This record gives sequence, C-alpha cells and structure tokens, in this order.
Amino acid sequence: MFERALNIFWILLGGAAAAYAWTLGLVGSSGPDSGLFPFISALIVMGAGVVLLLRSPGEAVAPDFPRGAALGRVLGVAAGLAFMAVSIPYLGFAVAGFITMIILLRAVEKSGWVFSIALAFISVVVVVWLFGRVLGMTLPRGPWGW
Amino acid sequence: MDAFGGLLTGFGVILTPENLYLCFLGSLIGTLVGVLPGVGPLAALALLLPITFTLTPVGGMVMLASIFYGAMYGGSTTSILLNIPGEAASVVTCLDGHQMAKQGRAGAALGIAAIGSFVAGTLGVIVMTFFAPAIAAVAIRFGPPENFAVMVLGVICTLYMIAGSLVKGVLMVALGFLTAAIGIDVVNGRERFTFGSIDLSAGIELLAVVIGLFGVTEVLNNVERVVKSTVVTDRIRGLWPTLADWRASWRPMLRGSGLGFFLGLVPGGGPVTASFMSYALEKRISAHPERFGNGAIEGVAGPESANNAAVAGSIIPVLSLGIPGNPVTALLLGALVIHGVQPGPLFITQRPDLFWGIVASMYVGNVFLLLLNLPLVGLWAQLLRIPYRVLFPVVLLLSVVGTYSANKNVFDLWVMLGFGLLGYVLHKLAYDLAPFVIALVLAPLLEQSLRQSLAMSPDGAMIFLQRPGTALMLTACAVLVALMFRRTKKS
Amino acid sequence: MKSVIAVALLSALLATPAVAQGADAKAELGKVKPKDFPTGPIEYTVVYPAGGGMDVTARLLAKHVEKWSGDKIVVNNRTGGAGMVGHAYLATQAKPDGYTVGVIANLMWGDAMLRAQGRWAYTDLEPIGYLNSDPLIWVGPTDGPYKGMSVKQIVQIAKDKPNTVRAATVPGSMWDYILDQVEANSGAKFLRVPFQGGGAGINALAGGNVDIAQGFFSEFRGLADAGKVAPLGVAAPERLSFLKDTPTMNEALGGNEYQWIIIRFAVVPKGTPADRKAYLGAAVQAAMKDPELVAEYLKAGVYFDPKLTDPARMEANLKAYADAEREFYQKTGRLK
Repeated sequence: MFERALNIFWILLGGAAAAYAWTLGLVGSSGPDSGLFPFISALIVMGAGVVLLLRSPGEAVAPDFPRGAALGRVLGVAAGLAFMAVSIPYLGFAVAGFITMIILLRAVEKSGWVFSIALAFISVVVVVWLFGRVLGMTLPRGPWGW
Repeated sequence: MDAFGGLLTGFGVILTPENLYLCFLGSLIGTLVGVLPGVGPLAALALLLPITFTLTPVGGMVMLASIFYGAMYGGSTTSILLNIPGEAASVVTCLDGHQMAKQGRAGAALGIAAIGSFVAGTLGVIVMTFFAPAIAAVAIRFGPPENFAVMVLGVICTLYMIAGSLVKGVLMVALGFLTAAIGIDVVNGRERFTFGSIDLSAGIELLAVVIGLFGVTEVLNNVERVVKSTVVTDRIRGLWPTLADWRASWRPMLRGSGLGFFLGLVPGGGPVTASFMSYALEKRISAHPERFGNGAIEGVAGPESANNAAVAGSIIPVLSLGIPGNPVTALLLGALVIHGVQPGPLFITQRPDLFWGIVASMYVGNVFLLLLNLPLVGLWAQLLRIPYRVLFPVVLLLSVVGTYSANKNVFDLWVMLGFGLLGYVLHKLAYDLAPFVIALVLAPLLEQSLRQSLAMSPDGAMIFLQRPGTALMLTACAVLVALMFRRTKKS
Repeated sequence: MKSVIAVALLSALLATPAVAQGADAKAELGKVKPKDFPTGPIEYTVVYPAGGGMDVTARLLAKHVEKWSGDKIVVNNRTGGAGMVGHAYLATQAKPDGYTVGVIANLMWGDAMLRAQGRWAYTDLEPIGYLNSDPLIWVGPTDGPYKGMSVKQIVQIAKDKPNTVRAATVPGSMWDYILDQVEANSGAKFLRVPFQGGGAGINALAGGNVDIAQGFFSEFRGLADAGKVAPLGVAAPERLSFLKDTPTMNEALGGNEYQWIIIRFAVVPKGTPADRKAYLGAAVQAAMKDPELVAEYLKAGVYFDPKLTDPARMEANLKAYADAEREFYQKTGRLK
C-alpha cells in the first residue's frame, strides 16, 4: 500500500514539474530553453511511476517500516537533527551541538546522564577546535560569544 | 628542457627540509580533510590559502597540491567505515567498501584503497612528467561537444550501475536530473524551480545531498535495530588484503588509473565522474557483476584509483596551459597568481623550478601518503569496535559540521535531513540511491555542454558528427546502450 | 661600486618616506578604531569562486588590510548563481554589525536591478572603499581563419555572414550587452556561445572552439604571452598603459558607448554602525595606499579610475555609474 502511494506521488510530482517546466519554455531561439531538460526528466519520472504502479503487486517488496520503540529511535534522530538546524542560528553551534548530542544519546540509545554529558561536551569541544582552530572555519556563535 | 632534466631540477627544488616538510604537512592535512565528511579539498585549500602567503611560491604550491591529492586518499576512510562519503568523489566507495567493513573486512578495503590511490597517483605523475605538453595541446581542444559526449558516457555508466529494478533506477536518475535543475540556469541566467526563495536559487548543495542520502540514511537504518552493538557484527578478519584480494584488485587499479587520468583532463570531469565511471566499468566487465554492492573489492580498487589519477589529469591543464578544469584547480591557479607567478603556456619555460618542483613533489607526496595511510588502516578498523550508541551521535555531529562547511548556510542542514529521511524511506522500498547522486552531478554539465554545443553550431545537432572525437565517443555510447539491451533481453 | 652605493642611497631615500608613511597610516587608522571592535575575525565575502579574479583581488586586499590594521581578516567565498547568492546574502542575511565586508563588483547592480525581484536593492549595500577597475577586452585567435584580424574586420564578417562567427558570452551581463550594442550598431549577427565566466570563454578561444571571446586582462594574459590569443579591443575610455597597441572599442568601431568596465569595491550591509563603517573604510583606504598592493593590482592588469580613487567623491560617483546602468537597462527594455 505504501509502495502504491509512493508511485502515485511520483506521478503527481512528475506531472507538476512537467507543467512548471512547460511554462519555462521548451525550445528557444538557439536550441533548448530552460524548461526542456526538466520537462523531459519530469516526464520520465511520471512514466516510471506509471510503470511501477501498473506492475503486479507480487513484484513489490513489502517494506518493513519500524514500529514502536524502533520508530521512536528513528524519529528521535530526525528530531535531533531538526533541532540542530533550528537552533544553530540562535544558540550557536557549540551549544546547539551539545544539546543535540544529549538528546540523541539519551532519547535514542538511553545512555546514562553522566556519560551523555561527558561525551557530548568532549565531542563538541573537539569538533569546534578541529574546524574552528585547525581549519580556521568560522562556526556560528551563540549569544554568549562562542 | 626534457623530462629527465626537468625532473632532476624538480627534485633538486623539492628535496630541501622546508619543502619536504610542507609536502608532508599538506599530505597530512589533505588526509585529515578527506576523512572529515563534508570538508573537501576545495574548502581546505580556501581556508589555508592565507597561510601560504608567508611561504615561498614553491613551498606554498607544493603544500596546496598535496592537500588536493591527499584528500583523495583520506576520502575513502569514512566511506568504508561509516558509509559517509568523505567527499563526493568517495560516494561510490561506500557501495562496496562499507559492505566489506560490515563483513569484517574493513582492513582489506582500506588497504586496497590506499594502495590503489598510491599506484594511480604515481602513474599519473609519471605520465604527467613525460607527456604533459602533448596532452595539454590535445586537452585544450576539448570543447562543449566533447564534454557532452563524455557526459553522455557518464549517464550510460550510471544506467549500468543500477542495482535492482531498472525502472526504479531510471526514475532515480530522472529525479536527479530534475533536482539539478533547481536554481539558476547557467546558460541564460534564469531562475528555475526556485519559487522566489534565495536559498533555492543557489541550487541544492551536492554535499548536503550526499551526506544525507548516505550518511544520515545509514544512521537511521542502524538505530532502528537495537540488537546491533557495533557496526561490524562479524569478527574482524585480518587487517590486510589477502592474496586473493590482490589478484582481484590489480587490474581494476590499472584500469581505474587510465580512466581517471583521462577524465581528469575533461573540464567538469574530475575525480567524482572518474570514480563512478570506474565502478560502472568494473561492474560491466566483471564475470560476476551481482557481487557488486555486496562487498566486491573491485568496487573499491577501481574508483579509489580513478579519483587519484583524475587529480593528476586535472593538474596538467593548469600547469601546462593555465586552464582550470574544476574549482579546486581554479583555486590552485589563483594561488599561483597571488604568489606573483603568471600561469599559462609559458609557465613551464619561465619558471621551470616551480613547474618541475610541483611535479616532483607529487612523487614525494604520494609516498608520504602511502606511509601515512597504511599504518592508520589498523587504527581506523579498530574504530568500528566502538559501540554504536557512542559512535553515531559523534558521526552525526561531524555530518552537521561537514555539511554546514559547504556554504555556511543552515538551509543545507535541512536539505541533509530531508534527503536522509527520503533515503531511509526509499531504501526500504528497494530503490538504489547512488544513481540519483550521480545524475545530480552529471546533469548540469550535460545540459550546459549540450546547449553550448548547439549554440556554437550553425548546423544544429550536426556538430556532434562533425567533430571526430565527439562522433567516436557517441558511437561508443550507442554501442554500449545496444549491448545493455541485449543483456537485459537475455536475462 | 659607485653605482651600487648610489642605488643603495636612492633606495634608502625612497624607503624612508614609505616607512614614515607606514607609521603615519597605522596611527591614523588607530585613531578611528571604535572601542571594543573588532573582537574577532572580520569576514571579507567574495561572491565568486575561489581562485578567480575577484577572489584574488579580495585576498590581496585582505592581506594588506591585515598588515595595516592588525585585525584578522578571513576571506569567505559564498558562491552560486553567478554572484546572485552572495549578493543576496550580503543584502539580506549578513548581520550589519561590522564583521561582514563584501568585496564585490558593479555586476551587483545587474543582479539588484534585474534579478532581485524586489527582495533587495543595491542601496542595501553601502560602499566603503574603491579597489580597482578592469575593462572588458575583446580577444581574438592567433590561429585559424580569423587570425590577425581587427575588431572592425571581424564585425564586418559577422555582418556579411550572419550566425557564423562564434562569440563567447556570459549571459545576462556586460558580455551580452556589448554584443547587443555591436549588433545593433552594425547589423552584425554573432553566434553566441554561453559560458559561466570570461575565463572559460577565453580558454575555448584558445582551443579553437569559439572565434572571439571577451574577458579581463588577468584572464588571458598567460595565453596572450604565449601567443595563443591576442587582445583586439578594450572597452574603456582610454587605451590601457600596458596594452598600448590595442585600440579601444570606441576607436575600433567609432562611437563612445562601448564602455564596459568591472568596478571592484568593498561594501558593508546597510545599517552597519557609522563608526565601524568608517573604520572599515579607513582600513581599506590604508591598504590601497600601500605601494605593494598597488603594484600587485597593476600586475593583474587593472587601472584606477580617477573618479573613484578620491574617497570623498567615491560614493557619489559610484551612484552615478549605477544610475547610468539603470538607464541602459531601461533604454534597452530590460527594466520597465
């Protein structure tokens, strides 16, 4: 069922992209215009989606999506990364990274508090040193200046 | 000055304590940069360029060059160990390298990668020494039609690489082409698929896609299962390649070197294209192509040699003509200018000390890198013994920094996450992810060279037949496609 | 022996004012330095890829600004969309706190006026210092059917046989505009081959893949010295001192509208505190007075526009140039 939904998604995506590409113009005065390549690619996506949809269900692989605790862990990782992306501009890399690592260590793999804090702290310090000092990159700083 | 005389001059220049030290330092930094996901040679060179101001031109260029090819050594490390590509040229190494690591053969994979890199790097420099001017004279004539033909060859190689359902693979390739269109159309400057967003107008950052699709996806796959405590479930079997490994690898290494060198010459080609074309080649001529994707060592030996040979190939136009083929060599050119040296066809005659010094340093650098990387193999393999619950947050942290380092834009982190989730879902539904990435790399070059070729041709598409090199390559492509159809019909 | 002493004395004489000037300049700079600024590195943003002409300009500038001001400068490339991404970043996302300086060119005006779609305007970036000017130069082959021809001759061929002469261009910027002008005035029709930069087009020229290319001196100098390409016309008001034998485009084709020059200057985002802006500007001025930097720039084949070298008149004259460009866009229908 999920496979079917995905195939329909491909068809819709391909169709929408092809329509948009059409508005960009397919052929210009000196050959292909901006829309041609995306248009053809979108049609292929759509076509492939149709072929997959029409194929017998027996060919499809039953996907083993995670349930329960496993799903929680997967979502936990995603949430951690999302938190990082949201908070870096406000908290700076160091703090955001520290908090994210704690989230990941605690929520996903249930490590102990002491261990989590220690590992998070050391990792962040090493990474900031490595990229910030050794390689000279400017990582975003938080309101505290680091 | 003939090649031998030049080499002698070069070695005379490079074999000083200061220059040797700089070569070593560059190799070390290059390896480190290659290992770190996201930070590639371009970022490292840009960051370290100011340091070279205090050095002599020879010292500065030697260091920068060694960072460039050093990164190709280190790039395979995280690909093999963690399925996170060190940079785009090591994506393909993930496919079989990581599988080998899971089977307890990380040491063999890392060892073959290092040795393949050394063989290719050294062979590349040897060819460079004797044939640079002749090769440069040919390379300069490569125009848009030739580039197009190479890119078409690349797309066909991608199709060869598809594991599993061909329809799904083609869908991924088309999706890659579509994603590559997001941003500004380089041929006429118009925005495509950006919907007014400034972030999207820059296009989708390749590095973010690669780290998300391979690195993050792998982490998501792994955390699903709590049973596994370390990456490697099998016993780590020996740290060195076996005799069987050698026998299987030496020919892919040579083929990869040749292919990579040639592709390094083509503008826009370079290490990335070389790596996956080599993979496709090895898979195509293998007697057991089904092994690819499950830990076939040829899938590591070929690409890792190819990307190192491509570095040597791409340096030739820079040193012999002053023409850069990719952003890294463009930066090397800029560095020359900043040091007061005028690159161009006269460079070799005006500054033979600098030209041959750089060439000689590449021999020395490859030796340094081999000596650096081989002993580290054991160390890296032990890394896999670390419990995963400790490893993966650190890996994710490094992924975030690496992705961020590309454009200093938080938007890329969302791209990384998005593609990580997408990869996770698609992987479950039996989609092959590598073709998407490769299509993403090839699409802009393919489209640009096609439209440039048509723009410069008064006779439209006939230009592809009028130019001998292009016609030859396109005929080869047609033959390959025909062979592919025959194969699928048979099976 | 006497001549050696003479040279030594002369050098000492010439050096002393420089040394004295050095101490002066550093002191001057110290006077305008705001309190507590800067506490960290200052980013010089370059909107083009590392290693290119703009990047080299910025890095040389940064090197000398560091020397005179003692502050740490980090050059950062924010590339994409032929400069659009970096310009948009500077105008909309960079914090106006004095820690970001953009090293850009007048190509930014095109992005602001034609492509920004109202998201930002060129007034969002305030100039603090002029660097140099680089005119677009037409470059021709030294091999093949068009070798040795002048601009006028090639334009004539493009008119007699339309769509046969292949000209390298960078779409949406001055490369296109000058071709438009030439075509409009002469009735010629070129076959335009798009590239991502002037350098790429010149490399194609050297390989025989196009017949005429346009770029900056630094982009083709190596090839020109080796005899692979030849400069044909300079789109500047006067001949360049280091290309005395190359006519200006105005001379070659008649008229006075063939002037297309890259003007490189430093900017800060609008809203940067006045004292920090003044200090950053003064640091750039101090570096620009350094004879070493001037020499390095001259080697790259630039010239210094007298209308812009005076800091007091720079801003006004830059605005005048920008207005002239806007007029051009309106006249040619690109801007309503």
